[in-house]
Amino acid sequence: MQSAPEIILKVNALTKSVLLEEKTLELLQPIELSVNAGESLAIVGSSGSGKTTLLSILAGLDVPTKGQVYLKNYPLHQLNEEQRSQVRAEHVGFIFQQFLLVNSLTALENVMLPAELANLPDAKAKGLDLLKQVGLAQRADHYPSQLSGGEQQRVAIARAFITRPDILFADEPTGNLDSKTGKHIEDLLFELNEKLGTTLVLVTHDSKLAGRCKRQVEMDSGVLTEKLSVKSNEEDVSNSQTQSSIA
Amino acid sequence: MEIKKSTSWYSHSLRLLKNEIRRGELTIIFLAIVLAVATVFSLAGFTEQIKQAIVTSSTNTIAADRVLRLNSPASTEILSKSKEEKLRVARKIETESMAFAGDNMLLAEINAISSEYPLRGELRIKTSEDQQDTILVNGPPEGSVWVEASVLSRMQVDIGDTIEIGVLPLTIGGIVTDIPDRSYRAFIAGPSIFLNIDDMEKTELIQPGSRLEYKYLFAGEQDNIESFEKWLTPQLNDTQRWYDAKAAQNRLSRVLDSAEKFLSLASMLGIVLAAVAVAVASRRYGQRHQATVAVFKALGATINHISKVYIMHWGLLSVISITVGLLLGYGLILLGQEAVKNFIELDNTTLTLMPFITAIATGLICAIAFAIHPLSELMKTSPLLVIRGMSQLTKNKMSLHHAIPLVALFVLLFMFSQDLKMSASLLFGGLLVSLVLLGFGKLLMTASRSAGTKAGKALHLALANLKRRANENSVQLVSFTIAIQLLLLITVMKTSIIEEWQEQFPEGTPNHYLMNITEQQVQPLSDYVEQEGIANQGFYPVYRGRLAAINDEKTVSKRNRNTGNDNELATEKSDSEEEGRRGMGRELGLTWFNEVQPNNEVIEGTWWESNDQMPQVSVESNVAERLDIKLGDELTFTLATNTLKVPVTSIRKVNWQSRQLNFIMVFNKAALEQIETTSISAWMVPEDKKNEVYKFLSEFPTISIMDFGAIMKQLNKMIEQVSVAIELILVLVILAGSLVLVAQVQASMEERERELAILRTLGAKGSLLRNSVLFEFVALGAIAGLMASVAMEIAVYLLQTQVFQMDPSFHFDAWVIGIGAGASFVGVMGMLSCWRLLSLSSVTLIRRTM
Repeated sequence: MQSAPEIILKVNALTKSVLLEEKTLELLQPIELSVNAGESLAIVGSSGSGKTTLLSILAGLDVPTKGQVYLKNYPLHQLNEEQRSQVRAEHVGFIFQQFLLVNSLTALENVMLPAELANLPDAKAKGLDLLKQVGLAQRADHYPSQLSGGEQQRVAIARAFITRPDILFADEPTGNLDSKTGKHIEDLLFELNEKLGTTLVLVTHDSKLAGRCKRQVEMDSGVLTEKLSVKSNEEDVSNSQTQSSIA
Repeated sequence: MEIKKSTSWYSHSLRLLKNEIRRGELTIIFLAIVLAVATVFSLAGFTEQIKQAIVTSSTNTIAADRVLRLNSPASTEILSKSKEEKLRVARKIETESMAFAGDNMLLAEINAISSEYPLRGELRIKTSEDQQDTILVNGPPEGSVWVEASVLSRMQVDIGDTIEIGVLPLTIGGIVTDIPDRSYRAFIAGPSIFLNIDDMEKTELIQPGSRLEYKYLFAGEQDNIESFEKWLTPQLNDTQRWYDAKAAQNRLSRVLDSAEKFLSLASMLGIVLAAVAVAVASRRYGQRHQATVAVFKALGATINHISKVYIMHWGLLSVISITVGLLLGYGLILLGQEAVKNFIELDNTTLTLMPFITAIATGLICAIAFAIHPLSELMKTSPLLVIRGMSQLTKNKMSLHHAIPLVALFVLLFMFSQDLKMSASLLFGGLLVSLVLLGFGKLLMTASRSAGTKAGKALHLALANLKRRANENSVQLVSFTIAIQLLLLITVMKTSIIEEWQEQFPEGTPNHYLMNITEQQVQPLSDYVEQEGIANQGFYPVYRGRLAAINDEKTVSKRNRNTGNDNELATEKSDSEEEGRRGMGRELGLTWFNEVQPNNEVIEGTWWESNDQMPQVSVESNVAERLDIKLGDELTFTLATNTLKVPVTSIRKVNWQSRQLNFIMVFNKAALEQIETTSISAWMVPEDKKNEVYKFLSEFPTISIMDFGAIMKQLNKMIEQVSVAIELILVLVILAGSLVLVAQVQASMEERERELAILRTLGAKGSLLRNSVLFEFVALGAIAGLMASVAMEIAVYLLQTQVFQMDPSFHFDAWVIGIGAGASFVGVMGMLSCWRLLSLSSVTLIRRTM
């Protein structure tokens, strides 16, 4: 009998609220979620639904108002900013919609950055190798401003994988790209994900992109629901109104 | 959970620094610190040298560091003490005596000098009249004299001829061209004749009762001089005087004082400007790096790591900037020296360590104090920004609003000026002005917005932009305003200081004083000046007299032994404890006029009618105040054998700076006309008419002539020197001001880029965008120029009345310059900075801002 897959991310009764003009605004209703290692999960939903808020809490960039978040068994909800930074450095990779390369660093230096922050050896060699894998070996010494949007995002992907993160968070990774470049980036992302066996959590409103993930959840006004019978075929997707509770 | 330390911080820091330098991202902050350091170093160093040079050249006016003036030879004790203090000593005996050459005679100032004379400055002669080059000398050999040029023409003698002084025949060996301690007294007898001090005895001029002044000139290290001074001055009595260059000459020391104050003020303003530039640039630095910090944090960098990266980054930047600043500053000092070498002798000046230390401290204070707030804000950047988007970047308020930079600025100013009052008033005055400007600026921008709705499209867009960014623009506006104001201030103050100096010697300023003119001689002389068209100030009868009593209360006084003030206004010790009322304690030159003289203003009472038969007197206001003389008081004067008792009917304010014959006590004609006397006059004799005039005056051998032209030449040279120094420093201040403007424009660049991208996308034409950017900057510059002019006018008024003791004035032309220069400079700078942005294609623009 196969051993049960490792749970890499687990969320219990997570809520997030902000105080707006003395009124409490509930951004996230109590959320339960768990993600297995190697799984790919798409969080879909319209703008303002709360999916980005959820992503920032899952990645340890923000903390929940109530509830627990465990990432690789680290209780993120109990850790301070410094400790969460370290968890991110060691276990998390990021791809952002706006690429967010450091303008003052070259493509290669940007890729090396997370490896260096995590004190990994051979950052340069690994960086060059990854740049080669994303097809940008010739552009290693170029600054972000000298690269096109698609190229910048490829650098960002290389950067995200250099630490061999246990889990990769991608926030609308193709949102700022034209459809052709976007497709190319998608392919690259899933290809590397597959190859390195990384867990992928991506936020998108692009149903096609979401469809390439093994699993989809939908955010709507702070409520998270599991999309059942997930397939890459959109027509087969039907929403379940039951609150997600996947253990 | 244990936090692991990342060891890669130094490579991150170096990488950031290297790349940012290469990409020019640190140019502004680098330049700001470089300029702050270079400005302070060059200003402090150069000013120090110029001050030294000015002090040295003013020391020249007494030919020593200090002079001891006695009416008998000094005790051996004094001389041996001076030797102990390793001071150099020169002896000089001065007297007035007749010189004879055949039938010609001339009252001259006899200077018997020892071979050490002069200790400071130069005594120069030429050995023939046509000789161009002058020779540097000490004293004439025994048996020989050196004379001023006018002696030759007035006595009709030549070089090699013999003249007699006392009973001693002496050969004229040279014509004196430069005298280092030319007397500034209004009533010196005549041209100077120099002879060897060993010949003095042989002239038999040294007789009991003869009026001789024994001068002992001292020079040496400052410490030794001061220690000698400490030992000497308590032993001096009322007739013995110890003075330095400043005390020797009021007029000159006023020039020096205001030059010193001005240079120091200009330097301080330069520091403020440079500090503002650093503040603006570091604020932008903080904002620009927020994205980087957010990404670093998201990727797992700890605060510790980021702090180390930035402390090293900033530290290296500071060290490089300070080093470059020092080098540049030193280059500027050398350049400055080169520029003024024809005007100011800097050979005897040295660069001390102080400017160097001040400059480094300035760099460090700027780099730390002005960066600490932006940097600590930067450390607090939330990693959430990577998700929420960089548009949520927090905008720090202008760093100047925070206490640390203010304290730092104050420390800087104080360190530089050593003047608590000036530093504090500059800082708090500036702060107050900034706050007022902030509010006023917002108001103006709102007003221009509503005006803009009626204007063309580009202007409309520009003014809408101004209004929308009113908060940030107010801060920018304050910086622009302060920069423009400081530049205007320096320009106006420079002009008015130099003008005031020059006003003392306007065209036609008399260069000759004539004394001992008898009543019979007045008519032929005034006919002569009229016929020859020689500018003059008329003829005034002069009486020598003493103020004997005020309201029948006898006056006494005690001379202030330490002042070298030889002016008519001898300063008095305020604590006259002797019996009786405070008086002048010496003979005064008295006169009568029918009309109020120019440069005199009746401030109390009324001036008499010319035919008023009641004797009356008008008193100079400072003296009236000091001696507590009021309108209606009865003053008793003794004039030789006469006693005169007259009521005070007016008090006059006199401009003593004007080179005009001025009098403390002026009577009406009825008071003095019965008493016999001689007159004096002041003439402006053009250089080419000098010989002719002297020939004419030789018909009146009893008249004493004093040539003031040489003194004026010396003063003019000094004014010229100081003006050059001021101009040089002005250039540096302008550079600092320009950098503030550039830094400000640069600081708004990112946002502009974003806006332009949006407008471009919406289809705005290039010309519309260009015009709107141009109008926006021009409007901003014009508003800043207007406010700067108002602020400048207030500051100039305060400075003129409080610091420089000048008459306040209004400067309309500066307003025009302020507004015009503000609009064009800010407009051009803005356009230049935005030009690259404006010429980018829409696609590039959009991509750059995403």
